[in-house]
Amino acid sequence: MTLALSLPFSFEEPTWLWLVLLVPVLIPASLRSLAGLDPVRRVFSLITRSVLIILLAACLAGVEHVKRNRDLTVMVLMDRSHSVQMLEDVQEEYLREISKDIPPNDKLGVISFARNAYLEQLPMRGGYHIPPDRLSQIPDIDRSDIASAMRLAMAMFPHDTAKRVVLLTDGNDNMGDVLTEARRAKADGIPVDVVPLWYEHKNEIYIDRLLAPTYAEEGEQVPLRMVIKSERRASGTLSLYHNGEQVPMAPEDAHVELQPGGNTFFSKLTARSTGDQRYEVYFRPDDETMDAVSINNKASAFSFVQTSSNVLLVTMDRLFDLPLARALESENIRVDVKTVDELEQFDLLRMMSYSTIVLANIPANVFTDQQHEQLARYVKDTGSGLIMLGGDEAFGAGGWIGTPIEDVMPVSFEIKHKRVIPRGALVLIMHSCEVPRGNYYGKEMAKKSVDTISSRDYIGVLAYSFSPGGNTWEVPFGLNTNKAAVKSRIDRMQIGDMPDFASTMRMAYKELTSGKGKDAAQKHVIILSDGDAAPPPPKLLDDYKKAKITVSTIAIGWGGHVMTRTMQDIAKKTGGKFYAARSPRALPQIFVKESKIVRRPLIVDEPFQPQIVQAANELLSGLDYNEQVPRLGGMVLTSPKPNPNVQMPIVRATKDGNDPVLAHWQCELGKTVAFTSGYWPRWGEHWTVWPKFAKFWAQVVRWTMRQEAPANFDVYSKIDGDRGRIVVDALDKDASFLNFLQLQTRLVGPDNRTAPLQFYQTGPGHYEAEFSVEKAGEYLAAVQVYESGRSRGTIRTGLTVPFSPEYRELGTNEALLRRIQEITGGRWLELAEGPREHDVFRHDLPPAEAKKPVWDWMLAWLILPLFLFDVSVRRLASWLALSIVVEALLIVVLLVGFEMRFTWWGVLGVFVLAELIGWTMRWRYIGPLFDYLTHTVTALATTGERSRTALEQLKDTRERLREDLEEQRAEALRRLAGSADAEVPGIDRTRRFDVGDQRAKEEVGDLTEALGGARAGETYKERRRAPAPATKDEGEGESATERLLKAKRRAQRDMKKED
Amino acid sequence: MRCHIRIRSALRSGTLLCFAWFMLFVGCERPALSPNGVVGVFGSLGLGDGDFHYPRAIAAEPNGSVFVADKTGRIQRFSADGAFELSWHMPEYEKGMPVGMSLHPDGRLFVADTHYHRVMVFDRDGNQLAAFGELGMGPGQFQLPTDIAFDAEGNIYVGEYTENDRITKWSPDLEFVQVIGGDPIEDKRLNRPAGVIVDDEQTLWVADACNHRLLRFTLDGELLMAVGHFGNAPGEMRYPYDLCLAPDKTILVCEYLGNRLQWFSKDGRSLRIWGVSGREVGQIFDPWGATYGPGGRIYVVDSLNNRVQIVRP
Repeated sequence: MTLALSLPFSFEEPTWLWLVLLVPVLIPASLRSLAGLDPVRRVFSLITRSVLIILLAACLAGVEHVKRNRDLTVMVLMDRSHSVQMLEDVQEEYLREISKDIPPNDKLGVISFARNAYLEQLPMRGGYHIPPDRLSQIPDIDRSDIASAMRLAMAMFPHDTAKRVVLLTDGNDNMGDVLTEARRAKADGIPVDVVPLWYEHKNEIYIDRLLAPTYAEEGEQVPLRMVIKSERRASGTLSLYHNGEQVPMAPEDAHVELQPGGNTFFSKLTARSTGDQRYEVYFRPDDETMDAVSINNKASAFSFVQTSSNVLLVTMDRLFDLPLARALESENIRVDVKTVDELEQFDLLRMMSYSTIVLANIPANVFTDQQHEQLARYVKDTGSGLIMLGGDEAFGAGGWIGTPIEDVMPVSFEIKHKRVIPRGALVLIMHSCEVPRGNYYGKEMAKKSVDTISSRDYIGVLAYSFSPGGNTWEVPFGLNTNKAAVKSRIDRMQIGDMPDFASTMRMAYKELTSGKGKDAAQKHVIILSDGDAAPPPPKLLDDYKKAKITVSTIAIGWGGHVMTRTMQDIAKKTGGKFYAARSPRALPQIFVKESKIVRRPLIVDEPFQPQIVQAANELLSGLDYNEQVPRLGGMVLTSPKPNPNVQMPIVRATKDGNDPVLAHWQCELGKTVAFTSGYWPRWGEHWTVWPKFAKFWAQVVRWTMRQEAPANFDVYSKIDGDRGRIVVDALDKDASFLNFLQLQTRLVGPDNRTAPLQFYQTGPGHYEAEFSVEKAGEYLAAVQVYESGRSRGTIRTGLTVPFSPEYRELGTNEALLRRIQEITGGRWLELAEGPREHDVFRHDLPPAEAKKPVWDWMLAWLILPLFLFDVSVRRLASWLALSIVVEALLIVVLLVGFEMRFTWWGVLGVFVLAELIGWTMRWRYIGPLFDYLTHTVTALATTGERSRTALEQLKDTRERLREDLEEQRAEALRRLAGSADAEVPGIDRTRRFDVGDQRAKEEVGDLTEALGGARAGETYKERRRAPAPATKDEGEGESATERLLKAKRRAQRDMKKED
Repeated sequence: MRCHIRIRSALRSGTLLCFAWFMLFVGCERPALSPNGVVGVFGSLGLGDGDFHYPRAIAAEPNGSVFVADKTGRIQRFSADGAFELSWHMPEYEKGMPVGMSLHPDGRLFVADTHYHRVMVFDRDGNQLAAFGELGMGPGQFQLPTDIAFDAEGNIYVGEYTENDRITKWSPDLEFVQVIGGDPIEDKRLNRPAGVIVDDEQTLWVADACNHRLLRFTLDGELLMAVGHFGNAPGEMRYPYDLCLAPDKTILVCEYLGNRLQWFSKDGRSLRIWGVSGREVGQIFDPWGATYGPGGRIYVVDSLNNRVQIVRP
C-alpha cells in the first residue's frame, strides 16, 4: 500500500501542487521585505505566508477529504431457479454459516434470483437475518438471470464500504449477459467469489422436439414427428393434444419403450378447422425415478390452416356487430365474430391466423398489456391489418391512450390542436398497504393511470408522505402534459401510513372544486388502500356527490387483511365503483378502466354530416364527392398523426378544423384503419340501411388484409440445440425454382421483442435463416417475399420452444462460472471445503473511499483567517492587540469553521484554548495584571491615609508658594522704596503655583505614587529597575529635543536588556 | 519576585489547561446529544437484533426494560439504555403487525394484535399467556384494536377503529363488560382512538386521533371532557397517536403528524411541547408512540427514522 493511499486527502488536479515550489523562492524575498520587523514576527509572518501558499496550491489542486472505510459489504446472490431448487436449504445453511463471527461493522446483503432478481435482505450488520422458511416465494423460476442479480447487487452496495459479491449458482444462465456484468463489476473493483452448486441428473427424460408442418389444408392429415431423449432405457406413455383436446390413441401406440439417446415417434392428425392448429405432446415415464425433472416432458408445435380472407371481429355484444359481419360475408369475406369472453388464448399465434382484426368499440382494459403489445406486433411485424371502430369505449375514451395500439393507428388519441375540449381531472389517493410489495404495485398502477389519461387532463397524486407534513400532493395537481416527469415523481414517492381518508379527500375536494380542477368536466378520484385508514365523515361524501366527483376505491390485499366496508361505502355514496384486488394481476385492468372515466369528454354526442374530402381514396372507390355518406350520431375525438402516409378521407368539419372520421395508413408492414364513429343504433342507424354499407366495409377490410404468398412455397422450421432454423423452398407455378428472392422479416420472440431475421439462399430456390432460441415460447415471423422489388405476399412461420433451457440443463455449467471468477478476480469456493474456510468477510480489499471537496471550506476557514493573521503580525505593533486578533480568529474559526459550537463543552473548550494562546502571546502582561490587581487591593486598603498625606503635601506646597509670592512682593516694595525709577514687578500669574521644574516633578511623582500608580510613561518593570532619577545637571543646558533623544535611547537600551 | 510570578502564572495556566482538557474529554456528566435533551438513541433500519423496520409500539417497565414492536412483526426487549436483550415474533404477522401495547402493573405485556383483531398477552420473556377477542363488531369482538389500558381494579380497556371506533372494557378475567365512547361526542363519533390510558384519578383518557382531540371519561363511560382540535398551536393536536401518564400526573400526548410531544394538565391545558420534525437527533418523524420509562426518562418511537430516542424529562 502506497503512502498516497493512507493520506486523508487527495487532489483532483495535482499539477497545481507545483505552486508549492514558490515557498523556497518566497523566503529570501520575504526576508528582505520584512526586514523592518522584529525577528519573532518575521518568523511568524514567514511561516504564515508559506502555509498560505501551500494551502492555496491545495485549493487550486481541488483538495478533497478522503474518508477511508475498511468495512466490507458482501452481497450473496442465491440461485433460486428450478434447476437448483433442491439446493435451496444448502444455500441458506451456507449463509447462516458465513454469518457466524463476522466483523461487527461488516454488512451482509442477500439477493434471490431466477428470471428476476429480488432483494431478500438489505446490506446490514450482523449477518443473515431471515428466519427459516421466510425466504420470499419468487415467481418465474423457469429461468436464471445472473446478470440481473449482479446489477441489483451493484445498486444495493453502500458506497462507503469495500464490496464483494458471492455467487451461489449452477451457472446455467439462460437470460441476460452475465459476462458484461462481470466486466462491469471488475471495473468497479468488486470481485465475484463463485460458489458452484454441483448437481448432475443421471436419470433424465425430456422431449427434445415436436415437429409439424407450418402450413396445412383443412381436412388434411398433418404429420407430426417427436423426438424423446433419455439417459437410460425407460418406458412410458405418450399423450397427444390437438387444440387443447386429447387425441385418442391405441394403447400400443401410446405406450412406448425408450432407448438411451434420441427416440423418434410419428403420428398423424386431421386438421379439422381453419386458423392455427396447436399440438402438444406429453410423456409420462412408468418409473418416476427415471426422470429427475418432469417439467421438460412436454413439447408443442403449431400449423396454420390456410384460408382466404379470414377476418376476426372482436365485439362486446354480438348483436351490435351483426350488421357488419353479415355485410362482410355478403362480400365473400370470411368473418369470425367473437366476444371478448370467447377470445381464448388470444396470443400472437392466434392473431396471425387472421389477416385482419376488427376491434368494434372495445375498451383497452379487456386486453392485457402483453396482448396490446402483441396486437401492435401483429400489425407492424406480420403485415396484418387492424381496424378500430369507434364508440364510447374506443380510442381515447376507451383508455387506449399511451398503449402500443395508439402507435400503430393513423390517429393520435389525444387532442393536440388548440380547440377547447372539456378536460378531465383525476386524483389518485395512495395509502400504504401492509401486504408485500403493495406500495410497489400502487406506484406501477399510478403510472399506468398517467399513461391512460390524456395530456390535456389534470392529474394529482395524494399520499401520506414520508416528508414532514403528512398528507401531501406527491404529484402536484396539474396538467398531465409532461407524463415522464409525472411518472418519475411517482417513482420517487414514498407512501406512508395515512391515518384517515378524510384529510386527503378534503385536499382532493378543494382542488377539484375551487382549485385548478374546478372547470374539469369529469372529476374522478381513485383510492388505493388496504382500508385500515379511518373512514371519512358522511358530510364529506355528500359534498363529493353534490360536486359530481366520483370516487372509486380499490382494496388491495392478497391474502392479507382488507377492511372493505369503509371503501365500499365511499364508492357507493359517491357513485364510484369498488374493487377488491385479490392479486396484483387484476390491478392494471382496474386502473385503466377507472382512469379512462375522466376521458369521457372526448366523446361528441351530437349528430353531424360526415364530409368526404378525398373521394379518390382507395377505400372509397365507388363513392364520389357529391355522394354523401349517411349522417352519424356522434364520434370520439382524435387527431390525425402528422405523417404524410396518413389519409383522412372522411371527416367531421367544424369551425375548429376537421376531425377524422375515417383515417388509414400503412404502419411498417401492416395497415390500420380508424373509424371514430359507429354503425350501431346510437350513432349509426342511417349507416346500416345505407345501400353501400357492405361494399364500403368490404373495401375497408380488404385494404387492410395481409396478402398470403402463393401456396407453392414450402416452409418448415426446426430447433437445433439453442438455434432455431426456418427453411423456405420457393417454386413458381411451373414448379421451377425461384431464385434471387428477397425475404424480409422480423422475428417476434416470446417476450414480444423483435429481431430482424436474415435469409440466405443456400441452394436453388432454397432459403434459410437462423436465430437463437434462448427463451421458451413461440417464435413467430411473417416473411415478406419480394421478387425484383415486387411483393409476392407473406409467408407465416414460426416454432415453439416447449420449455426453458433451464429444464434441459443436466449439470452445472462450470465453464461459465470459471469465466466469471476469472474476469472479476474472485475466488473459486467449493461448498465441500466448508463455509467457515471461505472467510468471505476477510478484509483483503482496498478500503472504500468517500471523497468530499473541501477547497471552499479551506478558503473560508483556513486561508482567509491565516491571511488576516499575516496582516496583523506585520501591522499590529502591540503584542496585546495581536493576541486579541489571534484570539478572535481562533474563536470564530473553531466555532463556525470546525463546527465546535454545537455542544457546550465544545464552546467552552474553544474559549479556553483561545485564551491560553492569547495569554501565551501577551505573557508579559500576566505579571503587571497580577500586580495591578494585588496593588489595587493594597492601595484600596490604604487609600484614606495616603490621600490625607497627599492633601497635606498639597497644602504645604500652597503655603510655601504663598510665602514665596509675598517675599517677592515685599522685595519689590523695598526696591520701589529705594529707587523710584526702578520697575515694579507685577504678579506673574503664570508662576502663581509654579514651584520650579524639579520640585514639581518630585511632588507630582509622589502624588502619583501615593495613589498607587506608576509614573507616567513608565512600565512596571521600567520603574522597578529604573535608574536613579535624572540629576539636575543632566537636564541642565540641554534642549528639549536632546532630552527626548536621550530618553529614547535609554528606553531602547532598557528594552534590549529586557529581551 | 519576577521568577516567583512566572512560576505562579505557569501554574495557573497549567491548571486552566488541565481543566479545559478535563471538560473537553472527560466531562462533568454525559452531555445531551441534542440541545433539546435527547440523552440516548437506539436502533437503525434493519432486521437484526436491535434494528427496527418502522417501529410503532412501545411499552416500558417503570424500572426495567423497554419493549418495542415494529413492522417485522417482532417485539424486542431492550435495557433502559437501549441494549438489546431479546426478541420474539408475533405468532402470525402476514396480514399486518401490532400498533399498540401496554404493560400491566403485574408485568404482563398486552399487545394489540391489530390486524388479527385480538389482544395477546405475553410475559416479559415473550411466552404467550393468553389471547382474547375475535373479528367482529359485537360485544367481545374487535376490529383493528389499537391500544390497551388498565385501571386500579385490573379492568382492561381496549381501543379499536375502522367502522367500529370505540373502547371496550373487559374484566380482569378477560370477560367483556361494556362499550365506552360508542356514541357521538360533540357530534363526532370516535375516529381512530389510537391511545388509551387510565390516570391516577381513575379516569380514562382517549386519544381520538382522527378527530385530533383528547377525551376524558369516567371508568363507566361517562364523558368528562373533550379538548383539542386540529392545529399546531399549544392545546391543538395533529393526530394524537399515543398517551402516557407522566410522573407528575400530567398527560403526555404523542402527535403522529404533529411530530411532537405535548403535555396536558388534567383540566385540558397544554403545559409543554417538545420536538420538531426531522432526521437529526432531537428531531422526530411520524412518531407512533412515547412512554415514560426507567429513570423517569421518555422513550419516543421515532417511526420513520427507525429508532427510539431517549429524552431527559
